[in-house]
Amino acid sequence: MSIWADMSTIVTATLSGDINFKVVQAYRSDGAWFVFGPLTIIGAVLVHFIYKAVPWLDRNLERSIVVYAYIIMATIIFVGVIQRFVFSNQVPWSTTIPPLLFMIMAWYGCSFNVKLRTHLSFSEFRTSLSPKGQFACLMFDNTLWMIFCIIVVTTTSRVTVNTYDNFAIVLGTDNVMRWWFIVTMPLCFIMMAGRVLGNALEDIANFRSGQPLIKQAVIGGDV
Amino acid sequence: MSDGTWITIISLAVTFLFMMGTPVLLIIFYWVVGCSFVLDLTLDNTGAEMLNVFKDGFALLAMPLFILTGDLINRSGIAKRLSDYAYACLGWLRGGLAMASIGACGLFAAISGSNSATTATIGSMLHPEMVKGGYDERFSAATAAAGGTVGIIIPPSIIFIVYGFLMNLEVGQLFLAGIIPGVLMVIAMMMVCFVVCTINKWGFLTDISIGRIVKTAIGAWLGFFAIGLVLWGIYTGKFSPTEAAGVTVGFGIIVGLVSYPLNKLMKNDPTLPIDEKPVSSMFVVDGFKLFDIPSIVVRSAQITGILAPLIAVSVVMQQILSLLGAQETIGGLVTSMGGYYPVLFTAMAMVFVAGMILESLPVTIIMAPILAPIAASVGVDPIHFAVIFLVGASIGFITPPYGLNLYVASGVTGVPYFRLLRYSTMYLASLIAVWLLVAMVPALALSLLPS
Repeated sequence: MSIWADMSTIVTATLSGDINFKVVQAYRSDGAWFVFGPLTIIGAVLVHFIYKAVPWLDRNLERSIVVYAYIIMATIIFVGVIQRFVFSNQVPWSTTIPPLLFMIMAWYGCSFNVKLRTHLSFSEFRTSLSPKGQFACLMFDNTLWMIFCIIVVTTTSRVTVNTYDNFAIVLGTDNVMRWWFIVTMPLCFIMMAGRVLGNALEDIANFRSGQPLIKQAVIGGDV
Repeated sequence: MSDGTWITIISLAVTFLFMMGTPVLLIIFYWVVGCSFVLDLTLDNTGAEMLNVFKDGFALLAMPLFILTGDLINRSGIAKRLSDYAYACLGWLRGGLAMASIGACGLFAAISGSNSATTATIGSMLHPEMVKGGYDERFSAATAAAGGTVGIIIPPSIIFIVYGFLMNLEVGQLFLAGIIPGVLMVIAMMMVCFVVCTINKWGFLTDISIGRIVKTAIGAWLGFFAIGLVLWGIYTGKFSPTEAAGVTVGFGIIVGLVSYPLNKLMKNDPTLPIDEKPVSSMFVVDGFKLFDIPSIVVRSAQITGILAPLIAVSVVMQQILSLLGAQETIGGLVTSMGGYYPVLFTAMAMVFVAGMILESLPVTIIMAPILAPIAASVGVDPIHFAVIFLVGASIGFITPPYGLNLYVASGVTGVPYFRLLRYSTMYLASLIAVWLLVAMVPALALSLLPS
């Protein structure tokens, strides 16, 4: 199939929910990059404007997701141990759902750190650069983050559709589909792209107004 | 151009980006992407592996849970009680507060499993006290940074979990093997404190008081209980490390929630000095409210959100290195050194150099699968090598230019990164001495293992 045909298959099948082997093949083609690349950027713009329009979401969306995923994960494991000690049995999904919640927590936490700019880096040389040099470095980082998001949105969308097509069920459950968890990943990276866009606009504004561009980030500080 | 040339160019380019301050996560990711293009590999593996690492790994779950445990015991006030106990025991010595800081790191590490949590908690708690007590602020901050290294050697430990997960070794055994080396690291760093403080005449000496030691030991009983719970559970096989982490999280939450109203009910005054506090008040810690839990969890989530993605991309990097034949190349180089000790010391040198430029988790994920089989081939016990490797990786937390604990200590104390280095190098020397000792005396790692 041509790239256009693949792109058309991806879009129509995803919108209609009619996923079959042919659609999975289309997702694996190069056409997927041409769908999910622009989609990530459009999504980033949309997410950024939603955050601007609803500041509560800007402050709380990612942190709520990670907090709930963390608490549910810890609770399932803790209750599982108590069940085993007290009742001598344990629900079978108590070891299969927590890793999926960990996956969600890890990547939404990653997005949260993009917002706070607390990802580990060696910033000693950068801080000694001129404002122009610092601005160039920051914009380059933002570009790298955006490409990172595009790559991961595309590849995890392929994993999602594959999991959907396989009717993969979470082990230990009767009807909890794995793709319900996996689909949060492309969404997470679109949200992360929104954060990257927000950071880029903030950097531009700071550069124009002569504000400091690099601030000391404290891990566990501004949360 | 050959593939090798391209990969060299990519490696140099990402090294340049690293020096210019690009986040480590992006550095590793783009190295993987670049190599994937050169080797004509699909990027789908990268995307899939970034999910699979988490969703297929129950053992790895212990990592976020032990990070959360650290934050819970800090917020509930247990960590403060442990540091009070350490100070009561060591305050009569020259440099006692600094030694107490190291001791508190060791005790905190025995409940939490994170180096950065240990540094951040003890650093933010004891740095102001040390500066008030006449210690140089650079020394105080360096003490917090160095003390944090035991956070991942004294069990439970995040990095032992990752190592066991990767190398298919029983994490419980790794934990046991880490106890003596961790204690030795604490003792070695305390000796540095003593020497440096004696030379500089820092700190005030307090009288030794058995009553105070007993009182603070009573105050720290919840901390000792948590340490005992973790070690008992893992040692007897009652629960896996992940479950032990879940249990300590549950313990931390229950203690925090029960203590808060109890503390109010008993009308305990937190501002009173320990000597004036009634003994009954020492049984209860400050605790926290139900509504405080999200703010505690979000701090842990932030640290997990930094470390967990690094694990994911490092796993993919390791796969690419494997495809590139790194194991054979490095293996050839290391084994050409000769027998047991030359191979061991070459491997240690590689871990040390890698620790200077990379975060310890990527170092472990990338180097362990390459070096462990080589060490095994010359007769190094796998558990012994794991401990040697991980003590080396923990030293990487205070080796410049990239020492995570130095950054964390700088962040929580406000002492600039480069100013920390003057005193952190003294701790570094003592830790290297312990490292060599652990390498040369296998019994230090293996004697606690069940026969």
